[in-house]
Amino acid sequence: MVRTIGLKLAHLVPVLFLVSLATFFMLELIPGDPAFTIAGPDATQEQYAEIRRELGLDRPVVERYVDWLGDTLTGNFGRSFFPPEQEVSTMIGQRLPVTLQITIMSIGMALLIAIPMALVVASRPGSILDRLTTAGAFGAISVPSFLAGLLLIFFFVFRQDVVRWVVLLAGLGLIAALMAPVPGKAATYPPGPHRRRYVTRSVVLALIGLAVLVGLFLTFPDFPRQGFSRITGDDGLRENLRSAFLPALTLAVIEAAVWMRLLRSDLIGTLQEDYVLAARAKGMPRWRILLKDALRPSSFSLITVVGVSIGRLLGGSIIVERIFNLPGIGTMMVQGITGKDFRVVQTGVLLIAVFYVVVNAVIDVSYSYLDPRIRRGRV
Amino acid sequence: MAESDTAVVTPPGAENAAVTAVVPGADPLVPTTRHPALLVVPLLVAGVAGLLVATMVLTDANAVVRLVLGGVALLALYLGLRIAGTAIWGPRFDLGLWLSLGWLALVIVSAAIADLLPLAESKNVSKTLGTPTLQRPDLFSEHPLGTDNQGLDILGGVIYGARVSLIIGIGAVLIGMTVGGTIGIAAGYFRGKLETVVNVLTDSMLAFPPLILLLGMVAVLEPSVRNVTIALALLNIPTYIRLSRANTLVYAQREFVLAARALGDRNRNIIFRELLPNVLLPVVSFAFLIVAVLIVAEASLSFLGLSVQRPNPTWGNMIAAGQDNFDDHPHLVFVPGAVLFLTVFAFNRVGDRARELWDTRQAKL
Repeated sequence: MVRTIGLKLAHLVPVLFLVSLATFFMLELIPGDPAFTIAGPDATQEQYAEIRRELGLDRPVVERYVDWLGDTLTGNFGRSFFPPEQEVSTMIGQRLPVTLQITIMSIGMALLIAIPMALVVASRPGSILDRLTTAGAFGAISVPSFLAGLLLIFFFVFRQDVVRWVVLLAGLGLIAALMAPVPGKAATYPPGPHRRRYVTRSVVLALIGLAVLVGLFLTFPDFPRQGFSRITGDDGLRENLRSAFLPALTLAVIEAAVWMRLLRSDLIGTLQEDYVLAARAKGMPRWRILLKDALRPSSFSLITVVGVSIGRLLGGSIIVERIFNLPGIGTMMVQGITGKDFRVVQTGVLLIAVFYVVVNAVIDVSYSYLDPRIRRGRV
Repeated sequence: MAESDTAVVTPPGAENAAVTAVVPGADPLVPTTRHPALLVVPLLVAGVAGLLVATMVLTDANAVVRLVLGGVALLALYLGLRIAGTAIWGPRFDLGLWLSLGWLALVIVSAAIADLLPLAESKNVSKTLGTPTLQRPDLFSEHPLGTDNQGLDILGGVIYGARVSLIIGIGAVLIGMTVGGTIGIAAGYFRGKLETVVNVLTDSMLAFPPLILLLGMVAVLEPSVRNVTIALALLNIPTYIRLSRANTLVYAQREFVLAARALGDRNRNIIFRELLPNVLLPVVSFAFLIVAVLIVAEASLSFLGLSVQRPNPTWGNMIAAGQDNFDDHPHLVFVPGAVLFLTVFAFNRVGDRARELWDTRQAKL
């Protein structure tokens, strides 16, 4: 185990070194004189010289790289080129929480969508519901995230009534579908307290479901088209969640489709195992087998993919931040690119890449921890 | 309950049928009948009639009514064609695949002959001063898919945008496949230090989240078709290196390679005559899926304003331009959006099938 982790860490070093090299030389690759690009055509000779000195262009490359690496490792990313001039580390400090919140929320929402759907669908493979969701998931994978975001804005913000009615009708349909087998199943109980208790429980559950649906229909929240309200802001958590809901959902929809397909096929495999047959033979209810016996051993590849998704979501949040105009890392980088503020871009790229590498390494290690079968193998 | 009992404990054979998602013929949505013509003819007639009514007769009616009618008509057409196809070519007939191929052919051909088509102006704003702006899509008018807020024709924009997307997507894959494939085969065949170096380099390339790497590259490059193609090609080179290396490793151990080496064949001949023909097909079969990914990547860049710029239309920059007033004029976003979605979907669908057919190893990466 220690050897596995050690090997992984040793493998990280050259990769991180090359990542730092690549981001450093991004600045070198700018065609022409960087000072000219930064200061524009109207600056004086002194201003150009000033910028060149500030960038260290008068010194050898290796020396500059070592200096830059030292600065970066101590958290000194330098200042942005353009007014309002700021420490890049301050900018990151303001913007990172927004991006992280969106990323974490979208992972949570995607899991909330993917796991129940995979459980329902995997318990009846080949059914109409299974085919429809599989086709739907295949379609969702082909939707670019910016298109998904605009679709959500269109329906949740501009045509809110449509969503409200669809949610109500779909919820009613779901309750009806869940309640349909109740009379038949009640008939299998002998007349007496057991049957009465079963019927009362079902009716109460249906009424609770109805109440939640009607409540949701009447108080359906308005989602803002754009903008972000911080948790620490004046409006508190409620506003914060309201402004983060649609951006997070945008990222979650596509991830959920991938995760659902993955978990579904793993679950179908697990449900063939003998111990599931044994549990069924004992007369365990279906939901208990799915949740307690099948879910955990089926979730290894899901965990890996969720981990890998963290990095992809950080990248994907760039687009979502643009659509919803959120003050996150992504908006900062796009503004940096269009405004030619290379130091901001450089820091953003480096930060996200390092984060991605480290997360992937952690996932690799924890994977071997979770799944005993590969613990002994070489990495 | 009997149904769920059999579902949880299914025999292995039935399980395989359920896991492979697309098994035509076993679809509960499509009714089976002894006389398919009795179903097919009414479905097709209803579908065509519904489409005609939705597009031509009800021109003044509510957009929602027309969309719903059109959707139902398309569904009827789909079911009719599917039953007919299954009856003629047997249960393995896959209508979705044929529709995807048809869509790709349509997009590619219209992008290729865009200059010959009688399209209204879609680039030059000074030529559209007399055109009504923000026209709704009307299939039988001069602007079948409507006009944008400057009077530019959306159908024209979509077709010229297809040109950009296809050139960039396919071009980048071709470059990536050639360069990455060569490096990958060399690394897998010669092994040793070359392989170690290549591995570390690909690992570091893949260490960047793709969109971040892309942003880094476009930050320093001018956004033109050529530069975006190069950036996207760089993006998929590591993928192809891994793919071709993994495939080469499988074949480099085989007897026919050993035999060639024992006969004193040169390395170059072994690579080109023995390895390449075996590695090529599985590597090429991935190309469709990667084209889909790259088209999305290009559209995302365009959407952020970092790829090909206006006045040259691309799907991404049309959507970005339309999002300002798409509350009242949703077609500005949804027409190019639908074309983008259908194209990506079709590439994915064809790619899945190509991999089933050609990649016998099922890509253990």
